[in-house]
Amino acid sequence: MSGQGKSIWDTLGDIPREVLYGVLLVVFVIPMIYPLGLPVPISANVLKWYKAVEDLPPGAVVMIDFGYSGGGEPELGPMAVAVYHHMLRRGDIKVICMSTSIEGPQLWDKAMAELRPEQRYGAVYGVDYINIGYIAGGETAMAAVGKDLRATTSTDYKGTPLDQYSIMDGIVDAHSFDLLICYTTGGDQSEGWVRQWYTVYGTPYMCSVLAMMVPTMLPYMNAGQIISVTSGAQAGEMEGLVHVPARGIKSADVITLTHMLCVVYVVIGNVAYIAKKFQGGSK
Amino acid sequence: MELDLVIQIWLASLFTIWIYSIAFRDNDFFKFAEYTFVGAAAGHSLVYGVDNLRRYGWDNLMGGAYLYIVVFLLGILLYSRYHPQYFWVSRYPLSIMVGIGIGLSMRAVVTAEFIAQIKSTAGIKLIGVSDPITLLSNLIFIILVVTTVYFFLFTFPKSHEGGLSIIPRIARYGMMAAFSYSFANTVLSRYNMIFGRLDYIYNQWLPLPGAIIALPVALILLIYAMLPPEKRPWPKKQ
Amino acid sequence: MSTTLKKTIPVAIVFVVAMLVMMDYFIVTPPVNEAGKSWTSGVVKDLQNWGIILTAFSLGFGAVNLFYFHSKHISRRTPKQWMFSLWLLLVIVTFTAVGVFMGPTSTSYNWIYNASYFALSATVYSSLGFYMTSGLYRALRIKNIESTIFMVVGVIVLLKNAPALAVYFPTLSAWGSFIENVLTTSAQRGIMIGGALGAISLGVRTMTGIETGFLGKLTEEEKGGSEP
Repeated sequence: MSGQGKSIWDTLGDIPREVLYGVLLVVFVIPMIYPLGLPVPISANVLKWYKAVEDLPPGAVVMIDFGYSGGGEPELGPMAVAVYHHMLRRGDIKVICMSTSIEGPQLWDKAMAELRPEQRYGAVYGVDYINIGYIAGGETAMAAVGKDLRATTSTDYKGTPLDQYSIMDGIVDAHSFDLLICYTTGGDQSEGWVRQWYTVYGTPYMCSVLAMMVPTMLPYMNAGQIISVTSGAQAGEMEGLVHVPARGIKSADVITLTHMLCVVYVVIGNVAYIAKKFQGGSK
Repeated sequence: MELDLVIQIWLASLFTIWIYSIAFRDNDFFKFAEYTFVGAAAGHSLVYGVDNLRRYGWDNLMGGAYLYIVVFLLGILLYSRYHPQYFWVSRYPLSIMVGIGIGLSMRAVVTAEFIAQIKSTAGIKLIGVSDPITLLSNLIFIILVVTTVYFFLFTFPKSHEGGLSIIPRIARYGMMAAFSYSFANTVLSRYNMIFGRLDYIYNQWLPLPGAIIALPVALILLIYAMLPPEKRPWPKKQ
Repeated sequence: MSTTLKKTIPVAIVFVVAMLVMMDYFIVTPPVNEAGKSWTSGVVKDLQNWGIILTAFSLGFGAVNLFYFHSKHISRRTPKQWMFSLWLLLVIVTFTAVGVFMGPTSTSYNWIYNASYFALSATVYSSLGFYMTSGLYRALRIKNIESTIFMVVGVIVLLKNAPALAVYFPTLSAWGSFIENVLTTSAQRGIMIGGALGAISLGVRTMTGIETGFLGKLTEEEKGGSEP
């Protein structure tokens, strides 16, 4: 009856957001301070990705689009670094990077600072890997680079002429590349590469996107247009495969516990909702 | 550790805490961080706009491609949109951009998002499949694709009424499942990002001298800023 | 004449440019050069490069709009607002000055980027996670068939996304695969096909001038001149 105190079901059905967020933060922090070392499975898509890079012939040239923004870096950064580890460790793959995201060059610098290619693998900038910088225009940039890279850009991301770098010898257009990889937080970019490179030139393509964007890319993978779609959240799996544990694998404990907490919240909400309905019905 | 790196980590961590405070209450620290973000985003865009103009426009122009003068003029004309009388002049460069965009997307959409998808769906086997679960999955797949296309294609009311109403209903159930999958994945995405920031604070900032004291001070100041002015313990109103 | 200059010619430009780009992909139109490429190839290559430069010009719109909007607050000394507006414009000027004069890949620019923009961007994106949490607590409830499907699938996928649970309970992976590869892919494919048809029809309507949204605000004369 109105005017009476709240029942337990009212309280459980309307928990203040401060309590929800506070408990969530505690569950975030505890495994960070006391790591549990919970296991991480390797999914089929990550294995497909790994195999695609492993199967590249010696001397293969890979184009990577650092198309993610700072917002997606905590999720996609570890994945990008793990894949770079894989390719540079082989020693016989050339990696050319560009960005369709305006923050791409800064995030590439961040990834390289974490990767340390010269110290770790003896890789040389301009010989084994290079960054040709951010090119505005989204799909227009993708199409322009695919049609004629040299007509689109003549310098690397710092402004040094590309002719000075041996890695760019023979690189003309999309046909010069054996594999295209895209890391992005924008659906336009991941789908744009399907439209402008795979559809037009048939370049094999893989992409790693935010977990919430994976559903929109699944039809392309199912139709064979993309070799593999992974989410940045699977970086821990890739780090396990390339044996370079880093930020990706550290998140596994936290993700497990927080997701279990989410399910607890859903159960509490539903139990309270159903109980209130029955209470209201019996009165 | 170098001083500039220490200051950078301090600033980044404080901004992180101030932004997270919006989850609880709006406050001036959040507003300060928010305005910094908006300003930084606009400034960053401007920087790379100039960089792209230099690298892809000016360098080509200096290299002998004098037709780029026309492009530069067209680019400047884009800003005529702010003129009350001659705003229509900006439609010319915009038309070129729109035309390129339409041409690029239309030429590939037909193949990538229409024919390839239909081909893939048509290639799903229903006959000669021995495993019952695979057969059921294939059947559900085809049904959901067809019903979802029906849902979006036939939008006039009669196509969603009577005996035909079962089709959009099945499509809705399928889309509910798909959106729920997206929702759960969005939670995964966001939690990964939260972990990234908390990991930064825990592993980069807190080990720095003074940070372990600064954290509770920052939180106390935030709580103070979140309180309405009449409930603040200080300064006392006369 | 006025409508021709302000509306008809821009629409004609859209049509011509779009047709050139599509022709280059679908047909080899003579004259053809020694490399087997048609004349449209060179034209489209130039157009695409022009598109990059025009997009670079358009990157300044955000800053211009912010200057226009916030300078009004500063000049009027809007209470509780003008100081924030002043700070915002100061940040834009600082970023621009350092980035343009020292270079966007310089150490100084990277410093201010990492100290402010990167941290803020990452945090703003991630802060939505809190709202997702209260969203799933309040929205994932059994109210009708659709919401029940939403809740059941959501819970299964949440559990499957927890890495350790997927190891200890392999059934979760099997159900997760079914949801991902059958339910989600099929529904998304249907949405994609519908979206593709929409994109094609929007493109044709824009090329023929039926859709004039990209022109911005139309004068009365221009509105009267348009026929469905």
